[in-house]
Amino acid sequence: MGGRAGFFEVEILDWKTKKQLCFLDKVESNATIREIRLMFHKLYPQWYPARQSIRLDPKGKSLRDEEILQHLPVGTTATLYFKDLGPQIGWTMVFLIEYTGPLFIYFLFYFRMPFVYGLDERFTSSPHPVVNLACICHSFHYIKRLIETIFVHRFSHGTMPLRNIVKNCLYYWGFAAWLAYYINHPLYTPPSYGKKQINFAVIMFLLCEAGNFSIHVALSDLRRDGSRTRKIPYPTKNPFTWLFFFVSCPNYTYEVGTWISFTIMTQCVPVGLFTLLCFIQMTIWAKDKHYTYLREFKDYPSLRMPIIPFLL
Amino acid sequence: MAGPSLRPHVHWAQRHRELYLRVELSDVQNPDITITDNVLYFKAQGHGAKGDNIYEFQIEFLEPVEPKPRYKVTQRQLNITVQKKESSWWERLTRQEKRPLFLAPDFDRWLDESDAEMELREKEEEKMNKMKIESRVPKDPFKHLKKGYLIMYNLVQFLGFSWIFVNMTVRLFILGKDSFYDTFHTIADMMYFCQTLALMEILNSLIGLVRSPLIPAVIQVFGRNFILFVVLGSLEEMQSKAVVFFIFYFWSIIELFRYPYYMLSCIGIEWKPLTWLRYTSWIPLYPLGCLAEAVCIVQSIPIFSETGKFSLALPNPLNVTIQFSFLLQVYLIALFLGLFVNFRHLYKQRRKHLGPKKRKMK
Repeated sequence: MGGRAGFFEVEILDWKTKKQLCFLDKVESNATIREIRLMFHKLYPQWYPARQSIRLDPKGKSLRDEEILQHLPVGTTATLYFKDLGPQIGWTMVFLIEYTGPLFIYFLFYFRMPFVYGLDERFTSSPHPVVNLACICHSFHYIKRLIETIFVHRFSHGTMPLRNIVKNCLYYWGFAAWLAYYINHPLYTPPSYGKKQINFAVIMFLLCEAGNFSIHVALSDLRRDGSRTRKIPYPTKNPFTWLFFFVSCPNYTYEVGTWISFTIMTQCVPVGLFTLLCFIQMTIWAKDKHYTYLREFKDYPSLRMPIIPFLL
Repeated sequence: MAGPSLRPHVHWAQRHRELYLRVELSDVQNPDITITDNVLYFKAQGHGAKGDNIYEFQIEFLEPVEPKPRYKVTQRQLNITVQKKESSWWERLTRQEKRPLFLAPDFDRWLDESDAEMELREKEEEKMNKMKIESRVPKDPFKHLKKGYLIMYNLVQFLGFSWIFVNMTVRLFILGKDSFYDTFHTIADMMYFCQTLALMEILNSLIGLVRSPLIPAVIQVFGRNFILFVVLGSLEEMQSKAVVFFIFYFWSIIELFRYPYYMLSCIGIEWKPLTWLRYTSWIPLYPLGCLAEAVCIVQSIPIFSETGKFSLALPNPLNVTIQFSFLLQVYLIALFLGLFVNFRHLYKQRRKHLGPKKRKMK
């Protein structure tokens, strides 16, 4: 096929009612879906491009921005379907809100605001060094996450629906408040095995945080050229990335490790519960990712398991 | 009486692998049928076209045949089946070109070659389908053991709950309202036994012994055992409350219909009135049972708050507080959710078993 095949006509229908929402004539054949989204946005200013799900089939998958009109299985008059995804929020913004919450909420409990433990205990501090240590670790964890969100992560999807943020924030902020309450409580009991337990936990915590950070950097380097396609991650010279030999999602493995170490450090049931829920959630994500890798790449290393080497 | 040998009327037909000969003789006893050197020798006493006589004939076959003919005597004729040595379609029956006078085609069983091939192919397909169906459902060597176990389990439960129901009813008649207050005292042991045994129901569903889904079974067994062992069993005060009577009574009535229904369905018998009862009685009884359980929990919450049973206060090495009365309040909400889930499940089952109209499948 040589050169431009001329102009296309694009009609966009509502996915449910099949009513015609707009008719674009004189659309260039090499136009991308991104351009079509912008044109649609001009006609309907309330539906900005991130909210538009444009698909070939009323119930089909949303078309990617990079897709080119003439490469799609459509005739010269293309019929596309539109679904409103609802108000969207960028991933970066989501993570910033989700992670700043626990950071500050923990401080409310650490500094013993009057409304938390009553007026008698207000602004007192704990006699146990492990409580200070826990505050440092918890804050370090969330500050690290914020830094990664701003400087390291490269997201493949631009946005997520706004209602998700309410759900996620309730979960993260709620749990942070619950575990902070018990750790900073005046009647807190330090770990049963004392210094040994705490030191072991701190070392494990630092190793897992370093590992988690290394993996995020490695994953981000895979997309250094700005591409949005998936590539198989491989171990690098950094020893923490050697977990890639055994596991598809070592970042989740290290994350669970961080929370396990925090549980050991504080010996607190709510922290353990949070760790368990994190583990379950991350196993689901890891399995998903693992099977996506297996489907996309025929030569995917067969030794790898989703999240726990050899086991899960 | 010596005379020229009489020939019976013989009709013949063929398939790729066999030959069929129908000899028109009735009341044949002890026919003499052999094949030697590819020649069929037939001699028998019977009633034929020329009356009661000895009839005989010989046929030399066109191609080689197996020397063992099979025959079947009926009141009106005699059917002989001969196997061809090689599967092929013969253009005639006998080696000689001229057809013997006593031999005629059997139009009842006649098929020409293409039709016979189709018949063969259909037979093959049927065989393959049967094999496929059989291989998909492997013969279960433990089938009878499993059925026996299920019948025993359902029987034991039925007996247990019948004892409970009868006992409670009799006491109700004799003691009236006073029987409410020491229901637990008299019935609890049997109820403990039956409800502990009910854990097997979860196991049965888990290992696939029974086809009912796992989640409703788990909800019911855990829900009931929680009330029985945790709320009632651990608090003396609760055991003398009237609501215990109602809880036990509703539970046992439901089971009175459920377990016999399962027992009969294991044996493969369906007693329509019982089916109807089993799939209808839960409509009033489940909500009433749930209501009784809810009342029980509401009554127990203050007692748990006061005594602090099952609760954990700070300081403790686990660094957590558990307030059981709060958990009970959450449980109340879960109770109604569980009722809703089970209701939906039972409603679906009812539709399936009692049907809008009983339509027999072809």
